Amino acid sequence: MARSQDMFDAIVMAEERFHGEGYREGYEEGSSMGVVEGRRYGTLHGAKIGSEIGCYRGFALVWKCLLHRCPAEKDSKKVKVLDSLLGMIQKFPYDDPTYDKLHEDLDRIRGKFKQLCSLLNVQPDFKIPAEGSVLSF
Amino acid sequence: MKDSLVLLGRVPAHPDSRCWYLAWNPAGTLLASCGGDRRVRIWGTEGDSWICKSILSDGHQRTVRKVAWSPCGNYLASASFDATTCIWKKSQDDFECVTTLEGHENEVKSVAWAPSGNLLATCSRDKSVWVWEVDEEDEYECVSVLNSHTQDVKHVVWHPSQELLASASYDDTVKLYREEEDDWVCCATLEGHESTVWSLAFDPSGQRLASCSDDRTVRIWRQYPPGNEQGVACSGSDPSWKCICTLSGFHSRTIYDVAWCQLTGALATACGDDAIRVFEEDPGSNPQQPTFSLTAHLPQAHSQDVNCVAWNPKELGLLASCSDDGEVAFWKYQQPEGL
Repeated sequence: MARSQDMFDAIVMAEERFHGEGYREGYEEGSSMGVVEGRRYGTLHGAKIGSEIGCYRGFALVWKCLLHRCPAEKDSKKVKVLDSLLGMIQKFPYDDPTYDKLHEDLDRIRGKFKQLCSLLNVQPDFKIPAEGSVLSF
Repeated sequence: MKDSLVLLGRVPAHPDSRCWYLAWNPAGTLLASCGGDRRVRIWGTEGDSWICKSILSDGHQRTVRKVAWSPCGNYLASASFDATTCIWKKSQDDFECVTTLEGHENEVKSVAWAPSGNLLATCSRDKSVWVWEVDEEDEYECVSVLNSHTQDVKHVVWHPSQELLASASYDDTVKLYREEEDDWVCCATLEGHESTVWSLAFDPSGQRLASCSDDRTVRIWRQYPPGNEQGVACSGSDPSWKCICTLSGFHSRTIYDVAWCQLTGALATACGDDAIRVFEEDPGSNPQQPTFSLTAHLPQAHSQDVNCVAWNPKELGLLASCSDDGEVAFWKYQQPEGL
């Protein structure tokens, strides 16, 4: 009697059980796929931000060198802004993607770079992507 | 209320084009207008009529969106969709373009001179606000590029006496900036509007700021310094700005401009429903929760959207407006009796 009851239960509960198992398996597979996808996305965007800031740093270092070679009184402001930009780039937290002011700081670096270009009267030949590189999900 | 705004005159300022913005010189004797025809025109009176004193062309390749006079009245700045801002120097009745400020990536939407005359602010569709410093030799140097807004920045305006800058944006917010250690920082974000904030105006004291929006409301914000009696919370040493009044239900379309008369405190608005409205603060209303009454409403002030309203800084009640119909109109505002 008990056996037939178990069988009966197994049949009745089959849908629920398989549903649960399927959900679990799917969840695990989805999670691991999500991690892979997220890692790829993060790598891509991290690299973009890194190369953007790297560009600014290279630009700033070259100009620092140029201005250093022939120091002039009128260039003191340019040097000040240059140093300020280099300081901001140095302080940027490259290994902490969870830093809550990441985009705020990045926007300040971009602003400082534009100000520097304006003071130096040069047009940068690389453009900040129109959408910036704000992460969007 | 019908007779409180009387038409004094009308001129086809920018024929076959839009007239975007107006600015009175500090002496109140000249009015600058700009428009889609890429020109700036300077208007003055001769007898009873308004005539064009000069035309500033060849400065811009595209629409001139806004103009601003320097506090000394000798310079005029024009912001254009061609991504540049021109500085014009006045000599007698003529104007000469002395500097072109470049740097914005695209359309410059607004320009404003600080009360000292040593600082200039511009803003653009590129989402940034730039602060420029002017030296004795008319050289302009960028002192800061502020990327605080997340969308198109529509308008910039300076506090009437302090070096405090305000900007309005398509991101529905107003932001305030001040100087901090060789750079400028955003010190407050005013949130409340439900759509694009188009324009801003400080009251004569600078304690309150009016903002107008695509959400068809005008909001009045009040500054509360740290340790204020009302107990409005402040973070650090920066004052807090709190919305103390919302004028809703008066406008049926986008409000493009708001002007706070520096002489009388009357508040005028320019609306997409072709109307001009004037509001006055009710006498004896609570300063922490003021109420305003509509004291003038001119439904068909122009045949199309009204883009700008500007109070004359010297002559009481003289109001200028301009529109998509290309015209500039001059009005006499009479404060209703009993106010």
